[in-house]
Amino acid sequence: MADYTAVKTFDYKGLPCPMPIVKMSQEISRIAVGEVGEVLSTDPGSIADFPAWAKTTGHQVLDIVQEPGLIKIYVKRVK
Amino acid sequence: MDLQQQYELEKLFKTKLHQAMRFYLETCTHCGLCVDSCHVYNSMPELRYTAVGRSEVVRKIFIKYFKMQGKIAPWLGETMEMDEFVLDKFYEAAFSCTGCRRCMVHCPFGIDTQQIMSIAKLLLVGADKEPKILSMLSDMSINKGEQVEESRAQYAEAIKNIEPEVEAIWPTPPGKKTIPLEVEHADVLYVALSGKHSIISAAAIFNAADINWTLSSFEAVNFGAFLGDPQRTKKIGNRIIAEATRLKVKTVAIVECGTAFRIMKQQFGKLPFEVVTFVELIAKYHQEGKIKLNKVMTEKVTYHDPCQIARNAGVYEAPRYILNQLSDDFVDMIPNREENWCCGGGGGLVAAGDFEFRMKSSKVKADQMKKTGATVVATACENCHSQLHDVCGYYNTNQHVEFISHLAAQGLAK
Repeated sequence: MADYTAVKTFDYKGLPCPMPIVKMSQEISRIAVGEVGEVLSTDPGSIADFPAWAKTTGHQVLDIVQEPGLIKIYVKRVK
Repeated sequence: MDLQQQYELEKLFKTKLHQAMRFYLETCTHCGLCVDSCHVYNSMPELRYTAVGRSEVVRKIFIKYFKMQGKIAPWLGETMEMDEFVLDKFYEAAFSCTGCRRCMVHCPFGIDTQQIMSIAKLLLVGADKEPKILSMLSDMSINKGEQVEESRAQYAEAIKNIEPEVEAIWPTPPGKKTIPLEVEHADVLYVALSGKHSIISAAAIFNAADINWTLSSFEAVNFGAFLGDPQRTKKIGNRIIAEATRLKVKTVAIVECGTAFRIMKQQFGKLPFEVVTFVELIAKYHQEGKIKLNKVMTEKVTYHDPCQIARNAGVYEAPRYILNQLSDDFVDMIPNREENWCCGGGGGLVAAGDFEFRMKSSKVKADQMKKTGATVVATACENCHSQLHDVCGYYNTNQHVEFISHLAAQGLAK
Protein backbone atom coordinates (compact mmCIF):
# COMPACT_ATOMS: atom_id res chain seq x y z
CA MET A 1 0.00 0.00 0.00
CA ALA A 2 1.34 3.41 -0.96
CA ASP A 3 2.52 5.56 1.92
CA TYR A 4 1.56 8.81 0.23
CA THR A 5 -1.64 10.55 -0.77
CA ALA A 6 -1.92 12.59 -3.93
CA VAL A 7 -3.29 16.03 -3.16
CA LYS A 8 -3.97 17.02 -6.75
CA THR A 9 -4.58 15.32 -10.09
CA PHE A 10 -2.95 16.65 -13.25
CA ASP A 11 -4.86 15.39 -16.27
CA TYR A 12 -2.52 15.30 -19.26
CA LYS A 13 -4.32 12.63 -21.25
CA GLY A 14 -4.06 12.99 -25.03
CA LEU A 15 -1.85 16.08 -25.08
CA PRO A 16 0.54 16.55 -28.00
CA CYS A 17 4.34 16.48 -27.65
CA PRO A 18 5.87 17.94 -25.50
CA MET A 19 2.95 19.36 -23.56
CA PRO A 20 2.72 16.82 -20.69
CA ILE A 21 6.25 17.69 -19.57
CA VAL A 22 5.83 21.41 -20.32
CA LYS A 23 2.63 21.52 -18.29
CA MET A 24 4.12 19.48 -15.45
CA SER A 25 7.02 21.94 -15.28
CA GLN A 26 4.60 24.85 -15.10
CA GLU A 27 2.05 23.25 -12.78
CA ILE A 28 4.25 21.51 -10.21
CA SER A 29 4.12 24.76 -8.26
CA ARG A 30 0.40 24.17 -7.67
CA ILE A 31 1.32 21.68 -4.97
CA ALA A 32 3.48 22.45 -1.95
CA VAL A 33 7.00 21.17 -1.39
CA GLY A 34 6.72 17.66 0.02
CA GLU A 35 3.26 17.06 -1.46
CA VAL A 36 2.45 14.46 -4.11
CA GLY A 37 0.57 14.98 -7.37
CA GLU A 38 -1.06 12.32 -9.53
CA VAL A 39 -0.44 12.68 -13.27
CA LEU A 40 -2.84 11.00 -15.68
CA SER A 41 -1.35 10.24 -19.07
CA THR A 42 -2.09 8.16 -22.13
CA ASP A 43 1.44 8.51 -23.55
CA PRO A 44 3.64 5.40 -23.45
CA GLY A 45 6.59 7.79 -23.58
CA SER A 46 5.57 9.20 -20.20
CA ILE A 47 6.96 6.06 -18.61
CA ALA A 48 10.50 7.28 -19.27
CA ASP A 49 9.81 10.99 -19.74
CA PHE A 50 8.67 11.69 -16.18
CA PRO A 51 11.57 9.95 -14.37
CA ALA A 52 13.98 11.76 -16.72
CA TRP A 53 12.16 15.05 -16.04
CA ALA A 54 12.37 14.39 -12.29
CA LYS A 55 16.10 13.73 -12.54
CA THR A 56 16.54 16.93 -14.54
CA THR A 57 14.49 19.17 -12.27
CA GLY A 58 15.22 17.63 -8.87
CA HIS A 59 11.71 16.34 -8.16
CA GLN A 60 10.84 12.70 -7.51
CA VAL A 61 8.69 10.09 -9.23
CA LEU A 62 7.38 7.83 -6.46
CA ASP A 63 5.46 5.33 -8.53
CA ILE A 64 4.04 4.56 -11.95
CA VAL A 65 0.83 2.55 -12.13
CA GLN A 66 -0.47 1.23 -15.45
CA GLU A 67 -4.03 0.31 -16.35
CA PRO A 68 -5.36 -0.44 -19.82
CA GLY A 69 -5.56 2.93 -21.53
CA LEU A 70 -4.22 4.93 -18.60
CA ILE A 71 -0.88 5.61 -16.93
CA LYS A 72 -0.78 7.14 -13.43
CA ILE A 73 2.45 8.78 -12.35
CA TYR A 74 2.93 9.93 -8.75
CA VAL A 75 5.24 12.93 -8.53
CA LYS A 76 6.59 14.46 -5.30
CA ARG A 77 7.54 18.12 -5.35
CA VAL A 78 10.96 18.26 -3.72
CA LYS A 79 11.87 21.96 -4.01
CA MET B 1 28.49 42.17 -18.43
CA ASP B 2 32.15 41.82 -17.46
CA LEU B 3 35.08 41.42 -19.85
CA GLN B 4 35.47 37.73 -19.04
CA GLN B 5 31.90 36.98 -20.11
CA GLN B 6 32.32 39.10 -23.24
CA TYR B 7 35.43 37.08 -24.04
CA GLU B 8 33.64 33.75 -23.46
CA LEU B 9 30.74 34.78 -25.72
CA GLU B 10 33.16 36.00 -28.38
CA LYS B 11 34.79 32.56 -28.32
CA LEU B 12 31.39 30.90 -28.73
CA PHE B 13 30.56 33.21 -31.62
CA LYS B 14 33.82 32.23 -33.28
CA THR B 15 32.86 28.53 -33.21
CA LYS B 16 30.04 29.38 -35.62
CA LEU B 17 32.17 31.28 -38.13
CA HIS B 18 32.55 28.73 -40.88
CA GLN B 19 32.92 29.87 -44.47
CA ALA B 20 29.20 29.84 -45.25
CA MET B 21 28.38 31.81 -42.09
CA ARG B 22 30.93 34.49 -42.94
CA PHE B 23 29.30 34.74 -46.36
CA TYR B 24 25.85 35.16 -44.76
CA LEU B 25 27.12 37.85 -42.40
CA GLU B 26 29.15 39.81 -44.95
CA THR B 27 26.95 39.66 -48.04
CA CYS B 28 23.58 41.22 -47.17
CA THR B 29 23.01 44.31 -49.33
CA HIS B 30 19.83 45.33 -47.53
CA CYS B 31 17.88 44.88 -50.77
CA GLY B 32 14.72 44.13 -48.79
CA LEU B 33 13.56 41.11 -50.77
CA CYS B 34 13.38 39.09 -47.55
CA VAL B 35 11.00 41.53 -45.88
CA ASP B 36 7.78 40.20 -47.40
CA SER B 37 8.97 36.60 -47.05
CA CYS B 38 8.46 36.37 -43.32
CA HIS B 39 5.08 35.20 -42.03
CA VAL B 40 5.67 37.17 -38.82
CA TYR B 41 6.25 40.44 -40.71
CA ASN B 42 3.27 39.75 -42.98
CA SER B 43 1.09 39.27 -39.92
CA MET B 44 2.71 41.95 -37.70
CA PRO B 45 4.49 44.45 -39.99
CA GLU B 46 7.42 45.65 -37.88
CA LEU B 47 10.98 45.75 -39.22
CA ARG B 48 12.32 43.76 -36.24
CA TYR B 49 10.27 40.85 -37.62
CA THR B 50 12.09 40.73 -40.95
CA ALA B 51 15.05 38.51 -41.76
CA VAL B 52 17.31 41.50 -42.25
CA GLY B 53 16.04 43.12 -39.07
CA ARG B 54 16.65 40.00 -37.00
CA SER B 55 20.11 39.48 -38.41
CA GLU B 56 21.27 43.07 -37.98
CA VAL B 57 22.21 42.79 -34.31
CA VAL B 58 24.24 39.63 -35.00
CA ARG B 59 25.98 41.39 -37.91
CA LYS B 60 26.88 44.38 -35.73
CA ILE B 61 28.48 42.09 -33.15
CA PHE B 62 30.30 40.26 -35.96
CA ILE B 63 31.74 43.53 -37.29
CA LYS B 64 32.72 44.70 -33.82
CA TYR B 65 34.64 41.57 -32.82
CA PHE B 66 35.70 39.88 -36.05
CA LYS B 67 36.22 42.58 -38.70
CA MET B 68 38.98 45.13 -38.99
CA GLN B 69 36.51 48.01 -39.00
CA GLY B 70 35.11 47.01 -35.65
CA LYS B 71 38.55 46.63 -34.12
CA ILE B 72 40.07 49.92 -35.28
CA ALA B 73 37.13 52.20 -36.02
CA PRO B 74 33.99 51.03 -34.21
CA TRP B 75 32.84 54.66 -34.00
CA LEU B 76 32.07 54.50 -37.74
CA GLY B 77 28.86 52.81 -36.73
CA GLU B 78 27.46 49.43 -37.68
CA THR B 79 28.94 47.87 -34.54
CA MET B 80 27.61 46.97 -31.11
CA GLU B 81 29.36 45.91 -27.95
CA MET B 82 28.36 42.60 -26.39
CA ASP B 83 26.21 43.45 -23.38
CA GLU B 84 22.91 42.61 -21.73
CA PHE B 85 20.99 44.80 -24.19
CA VAL B 86 22.44 42.81 -27.08
CA LEU B 87 21.45 39.53 -25.42
CA ASP B 88 17.89 40.82 -25.05
CA LYS B 89 17.93 41.70 -28.76
CA PHE B 90 19.30 38.23 -29.57
CA TYR B 91 16.42 36.66 -27.64
CA GLU B 92 13.81 38.80 -29.38
CA ALA B 93 15.29 38.01 -32.79
CA ALA B 94 15.95 34.29 -32.35
CA PHE B 95 12.70 33.39 -30.63
CA SER B 96 10.47 35.37 -32.97
CA CYS B 97 11.98 33.38 -35.86
CA THR B 98 10.70 29.87 -36.52
CA GLY B 99 13.70 28.93 -38.66
CA CYS B 100 11.37 28.23 -41.57
CA ARG B 101 13.89 29.59 -44.15
CA ARG B 102 11.25 31.11 -46.42
CA CYS B 103 13.41 34.24 -46.48
CA MET B 104 16.35 32.18 -47.74
CA VAL B 105 14.30 31.11 -50.77
CA HIS B 106 13.75 34.76 -51.70
CA CYS B 107 17.21 36.12 -50.84
CA PRO B 108 19.24 36.63 -54.05
CA PHE B 109 22.33 35.44 -52.16
CA GLY B 110 20.62 32.56 -50.34
CA ILE B 111 21.45 34.02 -46.94
CA ASP B 112 20.32 31.57 -44.28
CA THR B 113 18.72 33.53 -41.45
CA GLN B 114 18.16 30.33 -39.48
CA GLN B 115 21.94 29.88 -39.43
CA ILE B 116 22.48 33.47 -38.33
CA MET B 117 19.90 32.98 -35.58
CA SER B 118 21.80 29.88 -34.48
CA ILE B 119 24.60 32.23 -33.38
CA ALA B 120 22.13 34.22 -31.28
CA LYS B 121 20.73 31.03 -29.75
CA LEU B 122 24.17 29.64 -28.95
CA LEU B 123 25.24 32.84 -27.24
CA LEU B 124 22.02 32.89 -25.21
CA VAL B 125 22.85 29.35 -24.03
CA GLY B 126 26.38 30.50 -23.21
CA ALA B 127 25.05 33.43 -21.21
CA ASP B 128 22.44 31.26 -19.44
CA LYS B 129 19.68 33.39 -20.98
CA GLU B 130 18.01 30.73 -23.13
CA PRO B 131 14.35 29.72 -22.69
CA LYS B 132 14.64 27.47 -19.64
CA ILE B 133 11.85 25.19 -20.79
CA LEU B 134 13.89 24.24 -23.88
CA SER B 135 17.08 23.50 -21.95
CA MET B 136 15.06 21.47 -19.46
CA LEU B 137 13.40 19.46 -22.24
CA SER B 138 16.80 18.89 -23.85
CA ASP B 139 18.33 17.69 -20.59
CA MET B 140 15.31 15.49 -19.97
CA SER B 141 15.85 13.81 -23.35
CA ILE B 142 19.53 13.27 -22.57
CA ASN B 143 18.72 11.82 -19.14
CA LYS B 144 16.14 9.57 -20.76
CA GLY B 145 18.90 8.17 -22.95
CA GLU B 146 21.09 7.48 -19.94
CA GLN B 147 18.42 5.68 -17.92
CA VAL B 148 16.48 3.90 -20.66
CA GLU B 149 17.20 0.43 -19.24
CA GLU B 150 15.46 1.32 -15.97
CA SER B 151 12.14 1.93 -17.72
CA ARG B 152 12.33 -0.74 -20.42
CA ALA B 153 9.98 -3.27 -18.78
CA GLN B 154 7.36 -0.67 -17.90
CA TYR B 155 7.59 0.84 -21.39
CA ALA B 156 6.96 -2.60 -22.89
CA GLU B 157 3.86 -2.92 -20.70
CA ALA B 158 2.62 0.52 -21.80
CA ILE B 159 3.11 -0.45 -25.44
CA LYS B 160 1.25 -3.73 -24.86
CA ASN B 161 -1.65 -1.75 -23.41
CA ILE B 162 -2.16 0.23 -26.62
CA GLU B 163 -2.02 -2.78 -28.94
CA PRO B 164 -5.82 -3.27 -28.92
CA GLU B 165 -6.15 0.20 -30.45
CA VAL B 166 -3.86 -0.89 -33.32
CA GLU B 167 -5.79 -4.14 -33.73
CA ALA B 168 -9.02 -2.13 -33.98
CA ILE B 169 -7.64 -0.47 -37.13
CA TRP B 170 -5.84 -3.45 -38.67
CA PRO B 171 -5.54 -7.03 -37.39
CA THR B 172 -1.92 -8.10 -36.97
CA PRO B 173 -0.84 -10.86 -39.38
CA PRO B 174 -0.51 -14.28 -37.72
CA GLY B 175 2.84 -14.91 -36.04
CA LYS B 176 3.69 -11.21 -35.81
CA LYS B 177 3.80 -8.86 -32.83
CA THR B 178 1.41 -5.93 -33.03
CA ILE B 179 4.03 -3.44 -31.81
CA PRO B 180 7.45 -5.08 -31.92
CA LEU B 181 10.26 -3.84 -29.67
CA GLU B 182 13.99 -4.52 -29.76
CA VAL B 183 13.94 -6.48 -33.05
CA GLU B 184 17.45 -6.95 -34.41
CA HIS B 185 17.92 -6.71 -38.19
CA ALA B 186 14.48 -5.13 -38.61
CA ASP B 187 13.95 -3.44 -41.95
CA VAL B 188 12.61 -0.33 -40.25
CA LEU B 189 13.19 1.29 -36.86
CA TYR B 190 10.24 3.61 -36.33
CA VAL B 191 10.98 6.54 -34.03
CA ALA B 192 7.75 7.95 -32.65
CA LEU B 193 6.95 10.64 -30.09
CA SER B 194 5.77 10.13 -26.51
CA GLY B 195 2.08 10.19 -27.41
CA LYS B 196 0.27 7.03 -28.40
CA HIS B 197 -1.32 8.81 -31.39
CA SER B 198 2.15 8.84 -32.95
CA ILE B 199 2.42 5.05 -32.63
CA ILE B 200 -1.03 3.57 -33.26
CA SER B 201 -1.64 4.67 -36.86
CA ALA B 202 1.93 3.88 -37.87
CA ALA B 203 1.76 0.40 -36.34
CA ALA B 204 -1.45 -0.36 -38.24
CA ILE B 205 0.15 0.77 -41.52
CA PHE B 206 3.36 -1.23 -40.94
CA ASN B 207 1.30 -4.32 -40.11
CA ALA B 208 -0.99 -3.88 -43.10
CA ALA B 209 2.11 -3.70 -45.31
CA ASP B 210 3.55 -6.74 -43.51
CA ILE B 211 6.82 -4.95 -42.76
CA ASN B 212 9.56 -6.28 -40.46
CA TRP B 213 9.67 -3.22 -38.18
CA THR B 214 10.47 -2.31 -34.61
CA LEU B 215 9.56 0.62 -32.37
CA SER B 216 12.27 2.85 -30.91
CA SER B 217 12.59 3.36 -27.15
CA PHE B 218 13.11 7.07 -27.72
CA GLU B 219 11.11 10.04 -28.86
CA ALA B 220 12.20 11.52 -32.17
CA VAL B 221 12.03 15.21 -31.33
CA ASN B 222 15.35 16.97 -30.78
CA PHE B 223 14.86 19.79 -28.29
CA GLY B 224 18.58 20.58 -28.53
CA ALA B 225 17.98 21.81 -32.07
CA PHE B 226 15.14 24.08 -30.94
CA LEU B 227 17.42 25.38 -28.20
CA GLY B 228 20.28 25.94 -30.62
CA ASP B 229 22.82 23.98 -28.61
CA PRO B 230 24.94 21.77 -30.89
CA GLN B 231 26.26 19.61 -28.04
CA ARG B 232 22.83 18.79 -26.68
CA THR B 233 21.54 18.26 -30.24
CA LYS B 234 24.28 15.71 -30.82
CA LYS B 235 23.67 13.84 -27.57
CA ILE B 236 19.94 13.59 -28.23
CA GLY B 237 20.39 12.38 -31.80
CA ASN B 238 23.11 9.95 -30.80
CA ARG B 239 20.64 8.00 -28.62
CA ILE B 240 18.70 7.03 -31.74
CA ILE B 241 21.80 6.42 -33.84
CA ALA B 242 23.20 4.09 -31.15
CA GLU B 243 19.91 2.19 -30.97
CA ALA B 244 19.60 1.85 -34.76
CA THR B 245 23.22 0.73 -35.02
CA ARG B 246 22.85 -1.79 -32.18
CA LEU B 247 19.72 -3.26 -33.76
CA LYS B 248 21.37 -3.23 -37.23
CA VAL B 249 18.28 -1.82 -38.94
CA LYS B 250 18.23 -0.81 -42.59
CA THR B 251 16.02 2.25 -42.33
CA VAL B 252 15.14 4.74 -39.61
CA ALA B 253 11.67 6.16 -40.19
CA ILE B 254 11.00 9.36 -38.30
CA VAL B 255 7.49 10.10 -37.07
CA GLU B 256 5.62 13.10 -38.44
CA CYS B 257 7.91 15.65 -36.77
CA GLY B 258 9.71 18.04 -39.09
CA THR B 259 12.68 19.01 -36.96
CA ALA B 260 13.30 15.46 -35.82
CA PHE B 261 13.44 14.34 -39.45
CA ARG B 262 15.61 17.13 -40.81
CA ILE B 263 18.11 17.03 -37.96
CA MET B 264 18.59 13.26 -38.24
CA LYS B 265 18.68 13.36 -42.04
CA GLN B 266 20.97 16.36 -42.51
CA GLN B 267 23.07 16.99 -39.41
CA PHE B 268 24.62 13.67 -38.47
CA GLY B 269 26.72 13.01 -41.52
CA LYS B 270 26.88 9.61 -43.18
CA LEU B 271 24.91 7.03 -41.20
CA PRO B 272 24.86 3.23 -41.52
CA PHE B 273 21.15 3.33 -42.29
CA GLU B 274 18.72 5.29 -44.45
CA VAL B 275 16.67 8.08 -42.83
CA VAL B 276 13.15 8.76 -44.12
CA THR B 277 10.07 10.51 -42.87
CA PHE B 278 7.18 8.15 -42.23
CA VAL B 279 4.96 9.74 -44.89
CA GLU B 280 7.51 8.73 -47.52
CA LEU B 281 7.13 5.11 -46.42
CA ILE B 282 3.34 5.26 -46.58
CA ALA B 283 3.50 6.49 -50.18
CA LYS B 284 6.17 3.89 -51.03
CA TYR B 285 4.15 1.01 -49.54
CA HIS B 286 1.14 2.09 -51.59
CA GLN B 287 3.13 2.48 -54.79
CA GLU B 288 4.63 -1.00 -54.28
CA GLY B 289 1.18 -2.47 -53.70
CA LYS B 290 1.89 -3.40 -50.09
CA ILE B 291 -1.08 -1.41 -48.82
CA LYS B 292 -4.34 -0.32 -50.38
CA LEU B 293 -6.09 2.91 -49.51
CA ASN B 294 -9.78 3.67 -49.92
CA LYS B 295 -11.16 7.09 -50.73
CA VAL B 296 -12.64 7.44 -47.27
CA MET B 297 -12.47 11.20 -46.97
CA THR B 298 -15.74 12.97 -47.59
CA GLU B 299 -14.57 16.47 -46.67
CA LYS B 300 -12.44 18.80 -48.80
CA VAL B 301 -8.84 18.47 -47.68
CA THR B 302 -5.77 20.66 -48.06
CA TYR B 303 -2.15 20.09 -47.05
CA HIS B 304 0.25 22.21 -45.01
CA ASP B 305 3.88 21.62 -46.05
CA PRO B 306 5.92 21.51 -42.81
CA CYS B 307 8.96 23.74 -43.39
CA GLN B 308 11.47 21.20 -42.09
CA ILE B 309 10.08 18.35 -44.21
CA ALA B 310 9.27 20.29 -47.37
CA ARG B 311 11.26 23.49 -48.01
CA ASN B 312 14.23 22.36 -45.93
CA ALA B 313 14.30 18.65 -46.82
CA GLY B 314 12.56 18.39 -50.18
CA VAL B 315 9.66 16.07 -49.30
CA TYR B 316 6.79 17.58 -51.28
CA GLU B 317 4.99 14.91 -53.27
CA ALA B 318 4.60 11.90 -50.96
CA PRO B 319 1.98 13.55 -48.70
CA ARG B 320 0.04 14.81 -51.72
CA TYR B 321 0.18 11.37 -53.30
CA ILE B 322 -1.32 9.83 -50.14
CA LEU B 323 -4.06 12.46 -49.85
CA ASN B 324 -5.03 11.90 -53.49
CA GLN B 325 -5.51 8.19 -52.72
CA LEU B 326 -7.79 9.08 -49.81
CA SER B 327 -9.81 11.89 -51.37
CA ASP B 328 -11.27 13.14 -54.63
CA ASP B 329 -11.36 16.63 -53.21
CA PHE B 330 -7.78 17.64 -52.45
CA VAL B 331 -6.81 21.27 -52.96
CA ASP B 332 -3.39 22.83 -52.52
CA MET B 333 -2.86 25.94 -50.45
CA ILE B 334 -1.62 28.98 -52.35
CA PRO B 335 1.35 29.38 -52.08
CA ASN B 336 2.62 25.86 -51.46
CA ARG B 337 5.70 23.62 -51.41
CA GLU B 338 8.87 25.74 -51.01
CA GLU B 339 6.75 28.91 -50.94
CA ASN B 340 4.33 27.74 -48.28
CA TRP B 341 3.79 29.95 -45.24
CA CYS B 342 5.21 28.57 -41.99
CA CYS B 343 2.67 27.44 -39.40
CA GLY B 344 4.20 29.91 -36.94
CA GLY B 345 5.08 27.37 -34.28
CA GLY B 346 8.49 26.11 -35.38
CA GLY B 347 11.87 26.71 -33.82
CA GLY B 348 10.66 25.70 -30.37
CA LEU B 349 7.95 28.36 -30.24
CA VAL B 350 5.16 25.89 -29.48
CA ALA B 351 6.99 24.78 -26.34
CA ALA B 352 8.57 28.09 -25.40
CA GLY B 353 6.84 30.93 -27.19
CA ASP B 354 3.97 32.91 -25.83
CA PHE B 355 0.56 32.01 -27.18
CA GLU B 356 -0.50 35.51 -28.24
CA PHE B 357 2.66 36.03 -30.31
CA ARG B 358 2.26 32.64 -31.97
CA MET B 359 -1.32 33.42 -32.90
CA LYS B 360 -0.85 37.03 -34.03
CA SER B 361 2.17 36.10 -36.12
CA SER B 362 0.13 33.42 -37.90
CA LYS B 363 -2.61 35.62 -39.32
CA VAL B 364 -1.24 35.13 -42.84
CA LYS B 365 -1.38 31.36 -42.26
CA ALA B 366 -4.98 31.49 -41.09
CA ASP B 367 -5.96 33.55 -44.15
CA GLN B 368 -4.15 31.11 -46.43
CA MET B 369 -5.90 28.09 -44.90
CA LYS B 370 -9.35 29.72 -45.05
CA LYS B 371 -8.96 30.58 -48.73
CA THR B 372 -8.69 26.90 -49.66
CA GLY B 373 -12.29 26.24 -48.65
CA ALA B 374 -11.15 22.93 -47.16
CA THR B 375 -12.49 21.73 -43.85
CA VAL B 376 -9.58 19.37 -43.20
CA VAL B 377 -6.00 20.61 -42.97
CA ALA B 378 -3.63 17.66 -43.21
CA THR B 379 -0.02 17.92 -42.20
CA ALA B 380 2.98 15.71 -41.44
CA CYS B 381 4.50 17.37 -38.36
CA GLU B 382 3.48 17.29 -34.70
CA ASN B 383 4.67 20.84 -34.15
CA CYS B 384 2.68 22.15 -37.13
CA HIS B 385 -0.34 20.12 -36.02
CA SER B 386 -0.33 21.69 -32.54
CA GLN B 387 0.17 25.20 -33.91
CA LEU B 388 -2.42 24.91 -36.69
CA HIS B 389 -4.95 23.44 -34.26
CA ASP B 390 -4.51 26.57 -32.12
CA VAL B 391 -4.63 28.85 -35.18
CA CYS B 392 -7.89 27.26 -36.38
CA GLY B 393 -9.44 27.96 -32.98
CA TYR B 394 -8.02 31.48 -32.61
CA TYR B 395 -9.19 32.62 -36.06
CA ASN B 396 -12.39 30.53 -36.17
CA THR B 397 -11.46 28.94 -39.49
CA ASN B 398 -13.95 26.08 -39.00
CA GLN B 399 -11.26 23.59 -39.95
CA HIS B 400 -9.70 20.67 -38.17
CA VAL B 401 -6.14 19.43 -38.45
CA GLU B 402 -5.20 15.81 -39.13
CA PHE B 403 -1.99 13.84 -39.44
CA ILE B 404 -1.37 12.16 -42.82
CA SER B 405 -0.65 8.89 -40.98
CA HIS B 406 -3.96 9.02 -39.13
CA LEU B 407 -5.90 9.65 -42.34
CA ALA B 408 -4.00 6.87 -44.14
CA ALA B 409 -4.67 4.39 -41.33
CA GLN B 410 -8.38 5.18 -41.54
CA GLY B 411 -8.25 4.50 -45.28
CA LEU B 412 -6.47 1.14 -45.10
CA ALA B 413 -8.29 -1.45 -47.22
CA LYS B 414 -7.97 -5.20 -47.78
